[in-house]
Amino acid sequence: MAAGAWAQDRPTFRVKVDLVVLSFQITDNKGHYINGLKPKDFRILEDGIPQKIATFAEGNKPPVEVAEDGSLKPIPVSAEGKAEGRADAFVGTNVFVLFDTSNYMYRGFVYASDAIADFIRGLDRADSVAVYTYSRNLKRDAPLSRERNEAIFGLRKAVAGDDSALYNCLLLTLRDAAKVSGRKVVIVFSNGPDNASMVAPSDVQAVAEDEGIPIYVISTSDVNKDPISSSVFKRITNRTGGKSYFAKTWQKQVEAFESIREDLGNSYTVTYYPQPNPNEGFRRITVEVLSDAAKKYRVQCRPGYRPQGGFDRTRTQ
Amino acid sequence: MRLSGLLLCVTLGPVAMRVAAQDPASEAWQLEVKGDAAGARARLEKAARENPQSIAALRAYAEFLDRHRDPGARPAYARLEEALERSNAPGSERAAVARREALLDLIAGDQAAAEKHLAAYNAAGGSGLALGNPPARPPENYIEIPGPLHSFARMAALSPDLPAQDLLGALARNVVTNGYQAGNSNEALDQTEYLKLVVRYLSQARELERLSGDSKIIKIETCDSTQTGDLLRVLGYRMRGGCGSDLVLETVNASRAFLTIDSGFPLAELEQALRTNRPFRLDYHPTRVPVLYSADYWQPAKDKSAGPFIDYFISDPAVCRLYLALSKLEPETADTLRAEIPAARLKIYAHVIDFFGAMFEIRNGKAVVPGGARSEKAWADLAGASPEKGAAFFEKLAARDDGWLASYFDALARLNGPVKIYLTEPDRLKRFYAAIRGRVTSPGPARPVFRSNTDMLLLTTRLRLDPDGRPHLPGGLEVWKSLFANHPLGKYDAKLTRAAPNWRDADDVLEALFALCRKTVENEPLKIFMALSDVERNRTKPLETATVDRLARDFRLMNAQYSLFAEAPSLSDRTILQYLDAAHALNQIRDPGMKADAAGTMQSLAGLWQILTRQGSIAEADADQTLSRILAPFARIQGDRDIFDAGRGGVELLLAASHSPEKLSPQDRMMDLLAGGAGDEDSEARQQIVEDMIRIFEAQKLIPLNTLFDLADNLESVARGQKLDTALAGKLATRISEIDLPRNTMTTVERNSMSFGYYTDKHIETERKLNLRAAIEHAASDPQKLKDLRGSLAPFLRDTLVGFNYIHYAPPAAQVLRTNALFVRSHDFVGIPGSGQTWKATEVFGTGRPANAGGRLVGSLASLPYALAEAEQNFLIPTREQALIWGDLVPQMILCAVVPRWWNVTPAQLHWVGLHMAYAETLLAESALDARRRSEVIAALEPYAAPARLETIERLLAAGDVKGALDHVVPAEMYWLAEDLLGTDRDSPLAADIRKLAAQAPDQLSDRAISRAFGTPKPTLANSYQPELLRLRTFPTLMGYSSRILAESWQSNLLYYAALADQTHLRPAELNVRIPEWTEETVERIFATHLEDWPALLRSLRLVGEEVREKTRKQLLAEASVN
Repeated sequence: MAAGAWAQDRPTFRVKVDLVVLSFQITDNKGHYINGLKPKDFRILEDGIPQKIATFAEGNKPPVEVAEDGSLKPIPVSAEGKAEGRADAFVGTNVFVLFDTSNYMYRGFVYASDAIADFIRGLDRADSVAVYTYSRNLKRDAPLSRERNEAIFGLRKAVAGDDSALYNCLLLTLRDAAKVSGRKVVIVFSNGPDNASMVAPSDVQAVAEDEGIPIYVISTSDVNKDPISSSVFKRITNRTGGKSYFAKTWQKQVEAFESIREDLGNSYTVTYYPQPNPNEGFRRITVEVLSDAAKKYRVQCRPGYRPQGGFDRTRTQ
Repeated sequence: MRLSGLLLCVTLGPVAMRVAAQDPASEAWQLEVKGDAAGARARLEKAARENPQSIAALRAYAEFLDRHRDPGARPAYARLEEALERSNAPGSERAAVARREALLDLIAGDQAAAEKHLAAYNAAGGSGLALGNPPARPPENYIEIPGPLHSFARMAALSPDLPAQDLLGALARNVVTNGYQAGNSNEALDQTEYLKLVVRYLSQARELERLSGDSKIIKIETCDSTQTGDLLRVLGYRMRGGCGSDLVLETVNASRAFLTIDSGFPLAELEQALRTNRPFRLDYHPTRVPVLYSADYWQPAKDKSAGPFIDYFISDPAVCRLYLALSKLEPETADTLRAEIPAARLKIYAHVIDFFGAMFEIRNGKAVVPGGARSEKAWADLAGASPEKGAAFFEKLAARDDGWLASYFDALARLNGPVKIYLTEPDRLKRFYAAIRGRVTSPGPARPVFRSNTDMLLLTTRLRLDPDGRPHLPGGLEVWKSLFANHPLGKYDAKLTRAAPNWRDADDVLEALFALCRKTVENEPLKIFMALSDVERNRTKPLETATVDRLARDFRLMNAQYSLFAEAPSLSDRTILQYLDAAHALNQIRDPGMKADAAGTMQSLAGLWQILTRQGSIAEADADQTLSRILAPFARIQGDRDIFDAGRGGVELLLAASHSPEKLSPQDRMMDLLAGGAGDEDSEARQQIVEDMIRIFEAQKLIPLNTLFDLADNLESVARGQKLDTALAGKLATRISEIDLPRNTMTTVERNSMSFGYYTDKHIETERKLNLRAAIEHAASDPQKLKDLRGSLAPFLRDTLVGFNYIHYAPPAAQVLRTNALFVRSHDFVGIPGSGQTWKATEVFGTGRPANAGGRLVGSLASLPYALAEAEQNFLIPTREQALIWGDLVPQMILCAVVPRWWNVTPAQLHWVGLHMAYAETLLAESALDARRRSEVIAALEPYAAPARLETIERLLAAGDVKGALDHVVPAEMYWLAEDLLGTDRDSPLAADIRKLAAQAPDQLSDRAISRAFGTPKPTLANSYQPELLRLRTFPTLMGYSSRILAESWQSNLLYYAALADQTHLRPAELNVRIPEWTEETVERIFATHLEDWPALLRSLRLVGEEVREKTRKQLLAEASVN
């Protein structure tokens, strides 16, 4: 082997942190959404270190830039809904629907398809939606788009499959979602069983936490029928800032979708560049509401994330 | 391509050739050979553009494009043709150009243009070429299926890419394999859910057809029409909300709605039309599908009452089996059988003809038999009918011994060369069949779902003859006598055990192996025979008898490790025995954790040695000694410190043997070596590979070698009274703190029932508990205890070394390795206690268990590349709505993109493959114009293609459909076709180019070098991961292997990609990045109907190739516009 092989610069792997996008909902002790709060009403902490909010958005309203003095400045938004000069702050939510078409869903397949179609139609105009289906493999039936018809056409072309690799396919969906800027959620519509995944739910959950993507699950199974799936669903949705619904009937499924839509429309989204923090492991995020009534409020938010690795083009010796 | 060179050579001789060598074409050739094909192209293109009257410039550019199979070659030749006309060039020159244009037209599928250029060729004085008249074919018969084809195809799981004439055959196969299952109550077969849905779909399609009326168009004029209600009722939907934008279609009848969605009815379009109150139109003409012979042959008059053809067809699996069987036969053979044997009788043997009839051939009424005229009498005796009467012979053959004789015929018919001659010697033919047949012949080999004559097929295919013409027996006769007579683990067969002491020659052993072929149990002696034959295959000196004997006796425990020996023919007997001894010594370790660490460390070092030897980083001359020295300490492991020292010593030996620069850290040196390549290759490709490797290393939280080795040195210093390096210890502690326990381990019940994973969890727990500072304090000032502390680093070193192996073989995207941080650490070297899994093949375990911590690999590292590919395959994302990803084919395809590396491939090698493909295309095109050439080509393809495929190719060529014929010849066959006809072709300019290239770089272009560069690993078929090209027919699916052997015998991908790289002027080093990408894209585009549907793979391969070429063309156009 030529000595020149080692003459080039070696890339060095280091932890680096890009912009953090954080979505959360605030509810009172009766579960009602608390709306109308402003950036000054929150404090975001990472491992106890206060963070400086860069942008702020409520529901599907356009995001605003938060200046040093706390004043708010609108971010110009293009016709496509992209915030100019700040490609990472989209208006609306990027919704990834992951629909189980495995044999386990055989009987409920068409009803589920109807419920998802209704959900897509009811999304806010600012939202984008992608429809993915899965059995043993993932299938991207409709790419992320604001065109509702495109999503429904994709959904209605789904084919029933065989085995179920839910967690493999959820992972791939998260990887796709992670490539998109702005706020995003993944909604899984499944009845639970997985007989083909290589990755564990906990690993998938970790990816969702790190990428800041809430996972919502609508299970068409009884909560008690498949305790393993039920407990996994509850855990991954709680840990990522999403929710799980066990909706066996079509009506319950419609209600679950309605609840998710409400969540999306009543959430706050902030972005920030993390302050220096030596912790390269899991960083705990806390959202504090600075209000007298804050004690009565409940914040639903992902608990934290692990910073990603990246490369420096310098040589290690 | 040198058209002018060829003509000048004919008329003026070699002097003119030397003069011609000074022209721009020569200059371009030199650039190409050096690897700057893009530069050559740009230069020639510029010259042709700037000198539109220059024949030399136009010719050079056209010939360059031609050599690279660029579609631009045709217009470039057209410009040359015009220039020759203008300059009143000699007729011979014009004829040569017109001839070439005609050939390229045929390759492009443009027969009209070919006719035109042939006329120009004749007008310029050429002669002897003509497009043939297509032979008359019997008129095709059709049946009707209600509704559009795409809907039926979705429901019946058929690829929409299937040629129409193959559709019913594919449906028949699906009905036979997936349509019926044993009933619970009686002996009748019940329809499966698959077939029930097809039947229900047909019923719904007929209802829709009725709605479509005479026009066969479903029309909805307005939302509130009565037709709307009728249509929705059939579809199983109803309207919610009034007509207009609020309208939504919702399910009212789930069964019907399922068929609607699953068959791809355009429901969303209908809904949209209703919401906007626009008319909806859907063409609902029934689909006409060609049927073999006629519908009446399959559905006789007495069965017409059973309903329309398609319903009758799928209702009878016996009819489907016969259809399938006859559709695979060579047409003349099928016609003869059909004419002479009633369908009712053929049905009885349909399963045998389906599995073993592909090699049946009747010519002029006579059966063609393996061994030819010499063996005809023996075949007549065996079958009970003379091959002179073809139909009667094959009927008897199929009927004999429930298909065993037919399977024997099939296995021998697939052979070529000396082994075929040897095995078809009449006495031997009968003797070995008698052994196969035995006393009880049921169940026959065509009864199960897969062909069960696997062992016979493997034995006959892989048998080698020694130079004296006798079968090669590894170790000689005595080893085999002893193995059968005195096997320590029990007798294989009582009769053979009694006979073995009296065996006198190799045929006695072969007879015994043939006899065992019919056993349904694990055929160990045959597997030993094949594995040891493969270990010896590339050795210059055969293994010693004692070594073979030991390998045979250790086979059951250690066979997975033999691929290591097969891959390295320079290994000495001593080192092979040393490996077995070390493995046995480690098996004696009682503590499972320590045993796992020791075995994991040894196997990972051996794995790294294998990688470095394969890619030439360790010279062949040093390979044996290096492995021997690595293994030595593992024979005397006493504790953890020994494991650590053996691991560290092994790393140092590998680094020294590969001569990596000592100025770098061991970690960097190892990563550099595993990335492969040298500094002068494409640095961007290499950088990308190194970064991917580092990402996985980090994702797995592995500890760099530097940290471990420095810490061990520091502990040594501490034992001498110096202080602990707190920074180093801190580094380790930080990394350990990142290792999480599996967050959701198996439930107690699962763990107790499976006993898997216990020791891996324990391994991880042990690592997490390590606290060096506390351990040092505990050891106090006892120097020996302090020294021993480095043993606590052994588990970490094991993980790092195992991790290097995982990283090297990581499949593209590597989702599992990037996501599950414990995947490497979870490798289970122990498995079920007492199972001996420590040395067995790597297996994927634990998929589909949400309560588990994810899948993991169990067993040794011997088949790690395949297991990783298997674990990763389900992460590929099909691009089509209903793709069949094959469980055994895809891992093998991934393997071919991961195991070989292309750092040492030269531009000449890429161009070599590209020229072979171009030459093969030309040969096929010439075959359409010249009957003599056609017979040569067909004869050259005969060893690879079954009679039916050969007939198709020949028929298409005779009809001038070269493009159609090319769809039936796979890239590996194209390569061999070119190679075989090259030697005798003194006329073709392309053949001359290939010879010229061979003369310039003979070492790079030897058979061995090309086999190494573009061959594929065949761990099952050849017991080795060493990439190589073997001249093989594509295997069928086989019992015990499904499509894995088929996949290993498919050797076309890398040759195709090499030719694609040559076409698109890629630098060879870029293959290291592109081939994994192209492989992923190829897999994601496969749309297959069944496990043997390799044409679907070929289609996908060509689709990816077309996309790559299109992208390159756009890039070149963009560059040209800038310049």
